[in-house]
Amino acid sequence: MKTFKLIVLIGVSLFHFSCSDDLLDLDPISEMNENEFYETEEDFQLAVNAAYETLHIHYGPEGGLSYTEQLSDEATMFRVAGSISDRQAFKDYNLRPDNTVVQAIWDDSFIALNRINTVLTRLESVDLDENVESVFTAEMRFLRGLYYFNLVRMFGPLPLLDRTVSVQESYQILRSPENEVYDLVISDLEYAAANLPLRSETEIEGQATKGAAKGILGKVYLALGDNNAAQDILMEVISSGEYELIDNYENLWDIENENTEEGVFEIQYLGGVGNPYSDYWTAFAPFENFSITRAAGGMNMVTEDLWEAYEEGDPRREASINEGYYDTSGTWIPILFPKKWEDRTVIDRYGSEFSENNFIVLRYADILLMYAEAANDPEYLNMVRRRVGLPEYGTPGYPSEEYPTLKLAIAHERHVELALEFHRWFDLKRLDLAIPVISEAKDVTITEEDLLLPIPQSVRDQNPEIAQNPGY
Amino acid sequence: METKRNLKYYFFLIGFLLMLPMNAQEVIEVSGQVTSADDGMPLPGVNVRTRGGSDGTVTDFDGNYTVNANSDATLIFSYLGFETTEVPVNGRTSINVSMAADNEQLSEIVVVGYGTVRKSDLTGAVSSISAGQIQERSSLNVMQSLGGQVAGVQVQQTQGAPGFAPTVKIRGTSTITAGTSPLYVIDGYPMEDFDMSLINPQNIESIEILKDASSAAIYGSKGANGVVMVTTKRGTTGKTQVNVSYEKGVQQVVRKVGMMDAQEYIQYYIDAHNNSWEVAGGNASDPNDVRPPEYRIPPEFLSNPKQFEGSDWQDVLFRDAPMDNVNVSVSGGNENTRVFLSGGFVSQNGIVDRSKFDRYTIRSNVTHDISSAVQVGLNLSFTNIESKEYGTEGKAGAVSLALQSSPIFPVYNENGNLGFIDPNSEWNRFVPYGLQLWHPYALTREIDNKTKRFNSLGSAFVSYNFLENFTFRTNLNASVNNRRYSMYQNAGQRYGYSNINPAVAEDNTSYTYNWLIENTLNYEKTFGDHSLNVLLGYSLQKEEFEESLMTAGEFPNDMVHTLNAGRPNTASSFASEWGMISYIGRVNYSFLNQYLFTGTIRRDGSSRFGADNQWGYFPSASVAWKVSEQDFIRDTPWISSLKVRASYGQTGNNLIPNYGSIGLLGQTQYVYGGNVVQGLYQSTISNPDLKWEKTGQLDIGLNAGLFNNRIYFEADYYNSITRDLLLNQPVPTVTGFTEQLTNIGEVRNRGFEFLLTTRNLVNDFKWDTNFNLTLNRNEVLSLGPNDSPIYINNWGTTKTEVGEPIANYYGYIFDGVFLNQEEIENYPHHPSTRPGDPRVRDVNEDGTIDEDDRTIIGNAQPDFNLGLTNNFSYANFDFSFILQASVGNELLNSQTRYNKWYDGGRNGYSAITDYYVSEENPGDGETFKPYLNYPGLQRQFSDFWVEDGSYLRIANLRLGYTLSESALERTPFNTLRFYANVDNLYVFTDYLGYDPENGILSGALNAGNDYGAYPVPRTITVGMNLGF
Repeated sequence: MKTFKLIVLIGVSLFHFSCSDDLLDLDPISEMNENEFYETEEDFQLAVNAAYETLHIHYGPEGGLSYTEQLSDEATMFRVAGSISDRQAFKDYNLRPDNTVVQAIWDDSFIALNRINTVLTRLESVDLDENVESVFTAEMRFLRGLYYFNLVRMFGPLPLLDRTVSVQESYQILRSPENEVYDLVISDLEYAAANLPLRSETEIEGQATKGAAKGILGKVYLALGDNNAAQDILMEVISSGEYELIDNYENLWDIENENTEEGVFEIQYLGGVGNPYSDYWTAFAPFENFSITRAAGGMNMVTEDLWEAYEEGDPRREASINEGYYDTSGTWIPILFPKKWEDRTVIDRYGSEFSENNFIVLRYADILLMYAEAANDPEYLNMVRRRVGLPEYGTPGYPSEEYPTLKLAIAHERHVELALEFHRWFDLKRLDLAIPVISEAKDVTITEEDLLLPIPQSVRDQNPEIAQNPGY
Repeated sequence: METKRNLKYYFFLIGFLLMLPMNAQEVIEVSGQVTSADDGMPLPGVNVRTRGGSDGTVTDFDGNYTVNANSDATLIFSYLGFETTEVPVNGRTSINVSMAADNEQLSEIVVVGYGTVRKSDLTGAVSSISAGQIQERSSLNVMQSLGGQVAGVQVQQTQGAPGFAPTVKIRGTSTITAGTSPLYVIDGYPMEDFDMSLINPQNIESIEILKDASSAAIYGSKGANGVVMVTTKRGTTGKTQVNVSYEKGVQQVVRKVGMMDAQEYIQYYIDAHNNSWEVAGGNASDPNDVRPPEYRIPPEFLSNPKQFEGSDWQDVLFRDAPMDNVNVSVSGGNENTRVFLSGGFVSQNGIVDRSKFDRYTIRSNVTHDISSAVQVGLNLSFTNIESKEYGTEGKAGAVSLALQSSPIFPVYNENGNLGFIDPNSEWNRFVPYGLQLWHPYALTREIDNKTKRFNSLGSAFVSYNFLENFTFRTNLNASVNNRRYSMYQNAGQRYGYSNINPAVAEDNTSYTYNWLIENTLNYEKTFGDHSLNVLLGYSLQKEEFEESLMTAGEFPNDMVHTLNAGRPNTASSFASEWGMISYIGRVNYSFLNQYLFTGTIRRDGSSRFGADNQWGYFPSASVAWKVSEQDFIRDTPWISSLKVRASYGQTGNNLIPNYGSIGLLGQTQYVYGGNVVQGLYQSTISNPDLKWEKTGQLDIGLNAGLFNNRIYFEADYYNSITRDLLLNQPVPTVTGFTEQLTNIGEVRNRGFEFLLTTRNLVNDFKWDTNFNLTLNRNEVLSLGPNDSPIYINNWGTTKTEVGEPIANYYGYIFDGVFLNQEEIENYPHHPSTRPGDPRVRDVNEDGTIDEDDRTIIGNAQPDFNLGLTNNFSYANFDFSFILQASVGNELLNSQTRYNKWYDGGRNGYSAITDYYVSEENPGDGETFKPYLNYPGLQRQFSDFWVEDGSYLRIANLRLGYTLSESALERTPFNTLRFYANVDNLYVFTDYLGYDPENGILSGALNAGNDYGAYPVPRTITVGMNLGF
């Protein structure tokens, strides 16, 4: 009897042992994990989509590009929500390395670059269809070139990454000189230009195209002062016949009329609850207006300088800038704020708006003006002026007292044509107008050193080998 | 109503039991003398009673007694300080008894991991709490009753909602990011993050706290935060004992927060507006029509402010809240079977309007001897809790918002609605003026929330004794926890909120299933002077968690609150699980009962640990020397017992994320061709090396009993270093990630614990004192490769850096206010500074005020904790009180951001009424000038936010009256006791909020952050215990 009981007990305990392996190898039930991903074309398409999504942050209304408007003479900020002083430091040229917005711009950028590099690195170890792989590669290199181009103009020399790195490796990565960054930018965009489809060949609105890669490459060459290369590559875009100016300037931001033949590269949004909606309209609406939007960011309020920059009768002013709004009590509140991404019909649910508006990174008008600048050819400037019915450069009606040279005329045209579209600060820097224009507009004394953002303090806390930009 | 019905039932039960026939036997008179075995002196005041009977008496001054007893009865002699002695009568009429001095304190049995030991044989640091110390306390969660009672254990009641689990910290904070909760072991069943409000405190026989690592090491990777062993009551052989208890009580706010009344508020509002308008270039005398809207002041504020009687929103929010508590237990058994059955019902309303906690508990503990070798047992408990949780939300909760609301409004407007945004109310005229109202009822009556929890906890065992010295035991444990939460918010909340929100509803369900199978083999033998006890075991444990979350909106009206009436807008579900395999071993060895050694080892494998680090070993060793067993001490009469101990052990903290080692994918969306497409990206970095945090702790202790144990003293020194701290280590963002969960960093806790128990008076009037003192010093030793400090921003900022305790408050220091322009010019200042603005200290003395002038401005960890319990008894009365103190801790008062300066129409503390007005009228010199906006550093995190959290609390006061056995002689009862109990009578503190223990966040980095936490109430109860 005793022996029998003992056997039963031992038997029971052995049974326990036999099921124990299952206890330790438990994969997440409700969370997708990397263990079985980055294998099929479908996996990579999902990863590519997630890389495109970083455009929503990089070019978002609270992203790094948007803050360059604060640094320019176009936009300012009054009352806002959140960490006010860190945000106002942009318009005040009072940036410090511990500025949390600068930190977020940096972090978001490298998180975005990692999503891109993860696709590129993982593609090395799988065997997909060659065409599929080259298009994925070209799309990712397009985004990487675009991001590095933006970042090098904001931060100067940068940690240069053409693949993913481990935590250990990351401590070895310091800032590479600007020319090396530009080398990567150019090789990425050249690869993209060679391997991406033409606009007319892609059925998918929003996909990067050959024209987009060439257009950005033109901008890169301009920034580097290589006008000949810029002229060549931009002419390829112009002569491709893929793009033209649309008739009505204000229709560019009509949510019923997105992805027009003028949009060379457009960031896609879809309005509605649960969708990847756009929030430029609410972010750029006056803070706590409570009447035109429920949520309101107060970001990028328009300066008087921009308002004044428009010529008499330029319809682009009214298409670009709101002069104020009626508050809940019906009182007119005068305040200049952006109109381009206006979406007054948006459904307001759950305390916020879910707008539709795309954001156009590169427009054909920009291509034309860049070409005019590279080729020193007023005709391409005048193509842009003709659309809005303004007197052509070189004709008697043109305000040549104010813009006596073609260079100044193009700068002026870019200012009003591309107002608030995140180009102005880069344009001022490229055209060497930044210091005088910004000093006057913002009533601050700035130097060349203020034209780069600080490297975030946390970056240097983690790795003191990383140099700070001069002046910080 | 419910309570009444329950009561009826209980009285019926009592009545039924009263009809049971009583046995009649031959009664004889027994007399004799009781003397002390030590010196032969007579002992007066010895309690003499018969076992299981109702007769009893006490010895007179000469130690003589006379008692009536059945001829076959057993007499029980009990006297404090002496061993209880039992003598069978056997028909004798004269019985003299010699009582031996008791080492009661040392002979009691203490529950430790996987077994029990005599307290005198303990080699580690274990504190023991008996049923008597908790049973008449009103707390629904027994841990609440332990505050101030145990050295080394800090019990912080962060929120006072009924049943709300306090934060329990044993020997400091040994982690930065992992869980800080101790392991709870309920009748041998280890449970992580267990909610003790599921256990009826009346069912608890004892609580042991395993404080040092050598005691906790047997729980391996679960033991680093200490272990709380809870043992529920068992049946005892003999006459069936039925106990009924009923108590009734009330809860109250202990200290209201001093807020401005309507008149003070109006002046404050006017000043803030005028001050800002003057800065903007206006004059205080300007009428509204020349001011921009934000500077306008309601005309009545100036013309007739007295018309505003207003409301004290705290009076609206809080109430005196009744409670009822009924318990019935039956305990009994025979040689083979012992049973303890209990049922309890408690209904406690909370002091916050509509908050409520109802709990039903049933417990059945049964053990049965199948044979002399085989024993089986089953403990089963069911707990059902229905609660309404209002006021614990912290930020945006009713408590915080009541303090922010403008005090000028009536409780109801003329339409019977709650707020001034009612478009049909005359109060609507105030809308343009930026006043604030979040009416308490808008949150408590216009939002209907319910939480229902059902827990069943079962532990079954079989133990088999074979070959004399071996015992094999199998435990099967399971716990099922169901939680349902439903919420419905009425459309518009009767205009009582800051804006008009549509109706929304929420419905969440969760289910947790945990099981444990454990087998142990025990060998026990004494060889001459050597005695040996060896334990081997292994266990398997798994937990599965599932939840679903749903919300709906667009309800046609507020009639139906379930989601079917609206339109669902979100639905989600989530599941996770963990598993664990453990092997345990322990050797207890003693030589001559003088030298004691314990060695343990545990090997844990956990699904939470990374693939390359799945198993860990947790060893410990401890030794003790009973010095008092030495001859030279034995001859020292005033030393009753003396023991020195030393131990070292390693424990782990496995409260790390379930899947922290695995790189997860994040989900996102983009748009192609006008269609939403999904995207996936790597959102966390994998870390296959991820493992437990490891604590190594040295403990040196002393236990001493002096003068017949009239004085008992316990002291411990410990030094504990936790390595491999789990940190989200900031990593260079070039990796694509900002942080990686890594085992890195070290923290040390070292300290002293003292316990002193004295029996000051032991005769008719008895007086015992229990004093304990805890000092813990916490220091971060390492934070990874660059020791980068960790900053956490939750309204205030904490900085965790090497060489400092975890989570120092970090901000500016305000040295009062600048009285005039001259003072400003003579001291570094922020460019916006004007007279009346704070003088921000130039900490680094570089002549400018900037972010580098932030410094350490406090810490939530106390310098020391004190507890003092005094018990008095005389005749049938007993009285006790508990004082509890915490000294040297600071507290982050996050209400500061709204209540300590003018902020958007919100009310302010009455403590800031004396703000700076002008150089001639500078106020208290500390409170800066109110404005609508503060361009300077006023609102930045500073010592203005950090308050002294030291306190002295009258934690408990109890008065009892126990009827003597003679008084109960002619009744069927054998015990009858009445008592009155007050928990948290008062707290002495300078804190401006409700209670310096308040906090709304959990985790080591967020300790001491009060943002409208639920005040800890005073609870007054009166009760009755009846036994038969």
